[in-house]
This record gives sequence, structure tokens and C-alpha cells, in this order.
Amino acid sequence: MATFFVQQEGPVNALALNRDNTQVAIGGRNVFKVYAIEDDRFREVCNVRGSKHLNSNFSCNDVSWNPVDDHYLATATTNGHVCVWNLSKMGKAMQEQDYQDHGRTVNKVNFHAAEPNRLISGSQDGTMRYFDIRVKSAVAVFYSNTESVRDVQFSPHNPYTFSAVSDNGSVQLWDIRKSEKCMLQYTAHSGPVFACDWHPECAWLATASRDKTIKVWDLTNRPTLDYTIHTIASIGHVKWRPQRKFHITSCALVIDCSINIWDIRRPYIPFASFNEHKDIASRLAFKGDPHVFLSSGRDCTLYQHSFNDASRPASKANPQGITMNQKGEIVFARKVPVLPSSSSNNNSNTSSSLAKATVGFMRKISTSQAIDQFHLAASALTSFRLSCDVTDDTEQQFAALAKNYMLHGRSVSELCERNSAVAREFGKPHISVIWKIVKTMYGEEFRQNSSVNSTNREEVSLQSQKNSTAAGIESNLNNVRDMEADQKSKGGGDQSAQYSGGDDETENEDQVDHSSIYTNGFPTYLNFRNDLPKGDFSFGENELDMELETINSNYPSSYHRGGFNSTDCPDWILPSEAFPIRTDITDRSPQPEQFTNHHSPDISEEPHSFQVEEQGSAKLTIVKPLERQPWQPGRILVEALKHHAILGDIQTATCILIVLGDCRKCLPNELLDESLQEHWLLGYIELLTRHQLWTSATQVINLSWLSSIHQLNQQSTRISTNCAACRRPLLRVGWLCDRCHCAKYSACSVCERPVRGLYAWCQGCSHGGHPNHVKKWIKERGVCPTGCGHQCEYR
Amino acid sequence: MFEAQEVNAEHKDLIHDVAYDFYGRRMATCSSDQFVKVWDQNSEGKWILSSSWKAHSGSVWKVTWAHPEFGQVLATCSFDRTAAIWEEIGNIGPNDRGVRHWVRRANLVDSRTSVTDARFCPRWLGLQLATCSAEGIVRIYEAPDIMNLSQWTLQHEVQCRLPLSCLSWNPTMSKMHPPMLAVGSDDQVAANGGKVFIYEYSENSRRWVKLETIGTITDAVHDIAFSPNLGREYHILAVASKDVRIINLVPVENEETLQTGVTKLDVQTVAQFDDHSSLVWRVCWNLTGTVLSSSGDDGLVRLFKMNYINSWKPVAVLKGDTPQTKDSEQRTTSSSSNNGNVISPLSQTARYIKLGTISQPRDVPWH
Repeated sequence: MATFFVQQEGPVNALALNRDNTQVAIGGRNVFKVYAIEDDRFREVCNVRGSKHLNSNFSCNDVSWNPVDDHYLATATTNGHVCVWNLSKMGKAMQEQDYQDHGRTVNKVNFHAAEPNRLISGSQDGTMRYFDIRVKSAVAVFYSNTESVRDVQFSPHNPYTFSAVSDNGSVQLWDIRKSEKCMLQYTAHSGPVFACDWHPECAWLATASRDKTIKVWDLTNRPTLDYTIHTIASIGHVKWRPQRKFHITSCALVIDCSINIWDIRRPYIPFASFNEHKDIASRLAFKGDPHVFLSSGRDCTLYQHSFNDASRPASKANPQGITMNQKGEIVFARKVPVLPSSSSNNNSNTSSSLAKATVGFMRKISTSQAIDQFHLAASALTSFRLSCDVTDDTEQQFAALAKNYMLHGRSVSELCERNSAVAREFGKPHISVIWKIVKTMYGEEFRQNSSVNSTNREEVSLQSQKNSTAAGIESNLNNVRDMEADQKSKGGGDQSAQYSGGDDETENEDQVDHSSIYTNGFPTYLNFRNDLPKGDFSFGENELDMELETINSNYPSSYHRGGFNSTDCPDWILPSEAFPIRTDITDRSPQPEQFTNHHSPDISEEPHSFQVEEQGSAKLTIVKPLERQPWQPGRILVEALKHHAILGDIQTATCILIVLGDCRKCLPNELLDESLQEHWLLGYIELLTRHQLWTSATQVINLSWLSSIHQLNQQSTRISTNCAACRRPLLRVGWLCDRCHCAKYSACSVCERPVRGLYAWCQGCSHGGHPNHVKKWIKERGVCPTGCGHQCEYR
Repeated sequence: MFEAQEVNAEHKDLIHDVAYDFYGRRMATCSSDQFVKVWDQNSEGKWILSSSWKAHSGSVWKVTWAHPEFGQVLATCSFDRTAAIWEEIGNIGPNDRGVRHWVRRANLVDSRTSVTDARFCPRWLGLQLATCSAEGIVRIYEAPDIMNLSQWTLQHEVQCRLPLSCLSWNPTMSKMHPPMLAVGSDDQVAANGGKVFIYEYSENSRRWVKLETIGTITDAVHDIAFSPNLGREYHILAVASKDVRIINLVPVENEETLQTGVTKLDVQTVAQFDDHSSLVWRVCWNLTGTVLSSSGDDGLVRLFKMNYINSWKPVAVLKGDTPQTKDSEQRTTSSSSNNGNVISPLSQTARYIKLGTISQPRDVPWH
């Protein structure tokens, strides 16, 4: 069966199929035709309106085809007439009857299903009339006592019953033998009811209304509402789908041009939808077959629809939802298959076996969209939380680092040292190493030394220690990236294992004062440097001391071992790699010109360290001629930072940039222009905000060297207080109301004297005063001191 | 490492979308039953229903949060051809403190077909909402006054010729990049060409121009998501189609782009995963754009991650059915020995029989 259509001269209001579903009659204001339905087209049989005798009887609201005698058609006309047409006659004789009983527009006309001569009509005048087409006027008149009757339908179950729906939202059931009073009346909708349809098998009546609902009533005993479908627009026409007990078809009256078929058990989304009409569809009729129906539309068309061309809104609907938060937690909603019979069965044993049985079944239907399963839609919502025993998840690490990084106020090397220690404490040894490298590259003492230390032989031993440390660190630089990937992919969880995974020599512990957190906070070798004054490594904030102490107690041995004694390797070991380390550092000849990412380790050594390297490795002597060549580590640093940014570790990249301070100017601008810097800063600020780390975010904004970001702190910082009397915001000054012309309302509500300095103020009632007065008052009494009755809160 | 908690959402039909708010403390769900529900997480991590209301007269397809600086604001879009803006209102009376409810601030009725997606723009572009609809039109609305959420003006209408199913704003917060949108189509006909379109706002012509059609994706696209970009110089787009695709969009700079001011993108498909071996419905990024989660018709959530050499690998599979959730942890490290599955059995309160175990033969994701 195909979908096809035929264009008409005007909007089509109604259509009716004949007994054999071979012909269709359509009617509208300018249209009144009969078509034969062929396989792929409509063939015009008769244009009733084609005759030259035109009167308004030819424009109709509704058409009904006699279900017994194929020659008879009835129309409900807009001028209030009901006409009966005999298709076997020609010309003027076609119109056999013209009932002029109704006073206003007739909305609906219907032949009785079994008795060929009986006809019922419903009109805007509020009456229904029962005709015998052999008689010149109505046989019976039914007064609905409502404004207008929108639809009348004979019951298929009882030859004497018909239903009528009307504008006031009520449904009436009538017995055609008793015209004085209806059998039953009830209010079905909160708006005009435009259509009703009897279910062909059950005692169900579907009603459709302007209140955007289709309701299915069980009329077996007292009317009970069995199903409600919420539609997106007022419904003008409903029709049950033959041979499908739960399917009903609807056409909207406005907005929605599609014809929807609903499964009443799933009242939210249409089972199928036909979108061929360009304007709203007025009527539809099934051709006996549940898969083919005809429809007429305001867009001047008559369509035959085939189910093959239906769209299935539910199949396009997304059956799953997924979302992630900053902790990496996931909430996942997905469609779950449901078996109606087993829904009551809660026995776990049987349910699992049933569920297994469902698997194959559901697979099958998911492709073929079995009709019977359509209404069985349910979703399960699962929240995946990180389990509580994971102590060092990435979110906590991020927050801890953000809180404890020191970003200003000290020299670059001190900041790097401190941040390196912080990173290590919170389980980020690779980040810690990066801070060390940054220190080596940009720390003040190194830059100093590079100019003096070539002759400073007494420092050699120290330098050698230091530089071998640096070399050790840097030799690991190419592993750092591997490490990072590992670390992050592990998502934390085994950092402690790494700590304990180090070698067990703990002889350094004896040298370290256990109670001194400072020695722990900073690598010990800083303390025995003799060319630099010992800094007092105070920590700005006390919180770090606390945390250091707890860390101390948690990882005492590993921590002290990590005190950066020069002979000691960094306190992390390489986890076994899932991928090969690409290059072995000793195999390469150091060529400073090669600034590729992977060669960065060996060239990141500063010139002053060469003498040291000489001692250790003869191979490295060849770098000596390059000693005086000024070397800029900026390129490598930028590439490393970019690498971090790509890996999502914007925290490290941004913090290093901030700490570098003026050294940023040394960074190659072509690699790291201002817009990228801005991008990083904004990214980090965004991340901090997401974690609700407002203080850190503000600090970053404050330390930012880009004016566009620095301004962020200066935006919308003004809050106007309200005048306590008239509650208008005090826009000009904080104490004088322009309307009340009086400053007394801004005085302290407790001591009634003007407030200088801090002013505590309730947003709810606009009263306030000296903070300590208000605090004391609220604490004792809990209500506003002015007696306005407001339960102010002071926090 | 993940613990699965079943939330009894009590939606009467399919749930089509879930969305965390900006801080990850609240969650909104929307369903075909025309309801939207908002959930708050309590201190034990349980989800408590905070509000529930009938939002539309059709299936609610998507729900999305605005940035909290605009208040507690949601946008929904629906089969009923509308998109709606909702705001949570708290009563500050002395008696009903803490009583909150959601009110509809605006109803956007321009679409003539189902509105399939609605997304707020990144915060620094102000308060804009992009919607896309089955008729193939992307609409961009703006609230000129952020204090008045009931006034939305339709700023742009962008015609695509295919029915659209999803859209995503490029969240890159940099002045280097003009506003960018990606939209996907669930059109089934492969002959209609690429199903993912990239649009950019051109300051010169003051309209949205199409930059790119990703021709390699001709299957129906169900979801699309730009990766959060905190510091990358290129953009990453995840596409849920027959498989999971990860696409790098690298802006190319040459004389032509400098002249016209229109970005040129180099499109590189960097990963393609058919691990779900079925239709993929959703993709979602974590906050830093390092982990991609996807869900498909196999009922599983799969996580993908970029390793150090910038190649994407599957790292984990999450099952929602069984109370015990398996996390096939990364094999990159041998030291991750503490994978003790200390997962407490959870009470299975769901009222329906679930698909017990879908045993994919290849739950071991690492090759």
C-alpha cells in the first residue's frame, strides 16, 4: 500500500468511506466529490458540486456514507441543513432530502450502522435530530441543554444508544427511543469536547477536547476514566484503529498538522505519526485494514496513508541519558525492558532467569519494533559514585593543590620548592618534579650562580650533588609524561603503593628533625646550601602546617626519605610501563639545537652544570664548547606546559605560569601568546569555580597579569543597601535615602547611632547596624531589633 | 572504583536526559511522561527529590542548566514543539523559608516540529539558548536582560537541510575563537551526506556561517559533545552515532582565514570505537575534557581516555544493572593492586525486572 494524495480546490472538512472501502466521499466549503480508491491514486467518480445548481447546501461540515445502501450519502451543511444525496441519480435529483430543522450549523451527521434509513445529526444549536430518510422531517429531536453539540456517534454495541459531546465539556448518552431525557450525562473535560468515538469491541468511549487531552471512558457501568492521553494541541477528531485494541488515532485542531496514533497504555508519546499534511488534518477513516487509512486536510488534500511511511517518534527518542560532574561521577539513565507478567515477580532467582530470557527477546524487538512491546517503556537511573574508600581521588587532589599552592610573595625558587613539596604531599610526584625543574630553570639562585660559579670550586661538591639531582630529575623528564599518563589514568588510588614501593633505605630519617615540618616542607638540601641565606620558610597559611603534620603521621618513612637528599633518587619509582620508554637518555648525544619534545631532558641542563657532568660522564664533555651559549629553556617549558594543558592538567600549567612572574617575558611569545595565556587562566578559574574554591579563584584573578582577567574582580562589586523605611535601594550613598531625605533609618537598629565602618544588614527586612550589636542581638533574641517581626539570620 | 546506586526516579516513561548542574550537586531528569524532576544530593550522597512538575505537553527530550550566575535556571525542550525556560523561586517569607518551586519564565514556540535539543551558551557569551528541531532549524535566543528571564528574543535562525537531533556549544573560553556550534542530524539516509555540521558566528556578517560538514559521518547522529577546552589550541568533538567518534578540529591559520575572518578547520578523526557493538546514544565529557563517557544500546557506560601520546583508549566499562559495578581498571600500571572490590551490595529497589547481565565477550577493553 502506498501513500498518495489528490489536491482539491479548497479545504476538505470531512470524508466518508463507502461500505466496501472502495470509494470515498469528501466534503468542504468548496469541495464535494466522490473518488474511487485505486492502488496508487484516487480516481474522480463524481463531482457533486460540478452541477450548475449551486447553493449553500453543497458546502458541508460532515459527510456520512450509508453503511448498508451504497447509493446514499448524507451531509451536514454549514447553513444548518442536513441533506441526503442519492448517487444513482443525476443533476438536481441527486439531492433526495433537504432537512431544514436545525437553526444553526450542523456539526455532525451519522448513519445508523444497521438500519439504512436512520440518520442522526448534531448541531451548533444544541440539538440532535433523528431522521428517517423516507420522511420529510425529523422523527425525533433531542435537546442537549448545552450550547452546541460537536459530535454524535451511534454505539456499535447497542442499536438504540448514541453518544453526544458538547461545548461545555459534557458527554451524554441517549436512547433514540426516549427523546425527553438522556440516559446518562457526565462532565468529561474542562473544555469543549470536539469529538468522540466508540471502541469497536469494548464499551469504551474516547473523547477529545480542547483541553489537550484524549480520554477513554469505560461505560460498562458508571463511566470511569480509564486512560488519558496528553496531546500537544486541541484535538478535533479521534478514531480507534481497527484490530488494535489499544490504538487510537487523533487529529489536532490547531498547531499540529500530523496525524498521531497512540497506544493508550503509553499516553505520552505517539506510537506512530503521519506528517504528510501541510495544514491540520480534519478527518480520517481506516480502510478496514489497520495499516491503511485516508485523511482529509485543511491543506486541500485527500491522502491515503500507509503505515510503512509512518514516522515513529519513540524510535527517534533518546532512550538514554548520561552526565558527569567534576568528581567524575556519572549518572546514567537507560531504557530497561519490562515484561508485564513478571513485574510482580520479585523473587531474585526467577527474575534473573527471566531477565536472561528477556535478553534475546528484547534484542529482536529492538530492531523490529514489535507493536506489543511499545508501551512497555521504563528507565532505570543509576548513579555511579566514586567509592568512599578511594581517599585520594583526583578531585580532592585538585582542591588540595589549589588550596595549598603558593603563587606569590616569594622568590620563584622558593615558590617552586614549596609547590613541589605540596604536590608531592598530595600524591602528585610527577608534578612535584616539574616544579623542581621549573625551579632549576628559573630559580633565582641558579641564575645567579650561572654567572659566578664557574670559578667557585668550593661549591663543586655541593653543585655536583645538586646537579646530579637535577640530572636525575631531568633524566626522568622523558618519563614524566609517561608517569603523568599513568598517574592520571590510574585515577589515584595507588599513590600510597608508590610511596611504599620506593626502596627501603631510611637512613636519612636520623638526620631529619621529625618535629620540624619545615624541613619536610622543603627539601633538605636547601638547608645546607651555604651560599644562600636560609629563608624562613613560613607558609603563609597555617592550614598547611596542619596538613603537613597529618601527612607526616601518615607516611612518616616515605616522607622523610623523600627529603631530597642528593644521593637519593626522587622518592617515586617508575611504575612498570604499559608502553616502552622511547629513548634511553645515555644513548643520545646532547644536541641543544634539537628542541623536540622528547629530547628535552638532556638539553634542559643549564650551562653551569657541565663541570659536574664531566665528572660523571665522559660522553658529556662535548657540550663544553657550548658552555657560553645562552640557553633559553622557555621553549621546552612552554611545550611541557602545553602538553599538560592538552592532558587537561591546566592547574599545573597555569600555576607555573603565575609563579614564573617576570620570567614569563622570557618565554617565546610565538609559542605562548597572550590569548593562550588568557585561555589557560580562564580555564583554571573556571575549574576552581566549579569546585567552589572561590578564594583560590580570586587569588588567581588577582595575580593575573592580563588586564582582561584582572578586571574580573572589579565587576559588579557594588551592592546597594535598602532604606529601612521605604525599602528602596540606596543608590547614591549608603546612608541617605533620596526619598525619605533622612539618614536616621540607616543608623544602627540596636544602639540607634550612625554606623561607621562595617555595617551588618539584613536583606530580608533592610534593618541592620553595628555588626557586633546585631550579632549579639540576633543571637539572644532571634528577631529583628527594630521589632519589625522579621526573623533575621546572622551568620 | 565506582559504586552504583540505583535511583528510583519514578518517571512513568523513558528518561531522556539527565544533567548535573554547574557544581555537580544537583541533577535534573526529564522524561517522556512530560515531567521534569530536580534532585539534590544529600550528605551521604543519596539523591533526594527536590521538585517535580509537568513541564510540557509532550515528551521532554532534553534538560540543561544555565550557569549559576544567572540563578537556578533550567531549559527544557519537548516533542510539543516548544522549549521552556524555568527558574527556581524560593520564598523568603518568615514561615515558608526554604520552600522552593520552579516557574516557567518563557516558552519558546517558534518551532513547527519537535524541538530536539536546547543548550545554554558558554557563560561569557551572556545568556543565550540554542535550540534545534526536527525541521532542521537551529534557533539562537538571547535574553538581553539577564535579570528578566521572561524576555527572550530570537536572534538567529540557521537552516540545515536535515532533521536535527542534537547540538553542542563549543565551550572554549578564549577570545581567539568566535562562538561555535556543532549540530548533528539523526537522518537515516546515508546518501544525504555528512550528519555533523559546524557553525561559527561571524562578527563581520553578523550571522552564523557553516564552517564544515563532517563528511565521514553519514550514519544517524544521536548525540554530540564538544570537549571542555581549558587550554588546548584545538577543539575536540565527540559524536555518538553507530560508534563513538572523537574528532579533532584544528583551526588553520593562513592568509585566507586572516582576510575573511572565517575560521578554517582541519578535521581529523582521531578515534573511532565500536566497543558498544550497537547504536551509541550519548556521549559526555568530564570537566577537564580528559575522559569521555559513552552509552549505547548494550546498556553499558564506557569510558575513554587520552593517554600521554594523545591517543584515545577505552579504560573502563560500567554496568548499571547489577548492584556490583565492575570497573575494569587500567592496565597501564602493574602496581594498581588495591583493586579490592569493596562494593556493598545495594538494595535493588527498582520495580522492574532488569536486563540481568549483558555479557559482552569483550568486556576487557585493553588490547
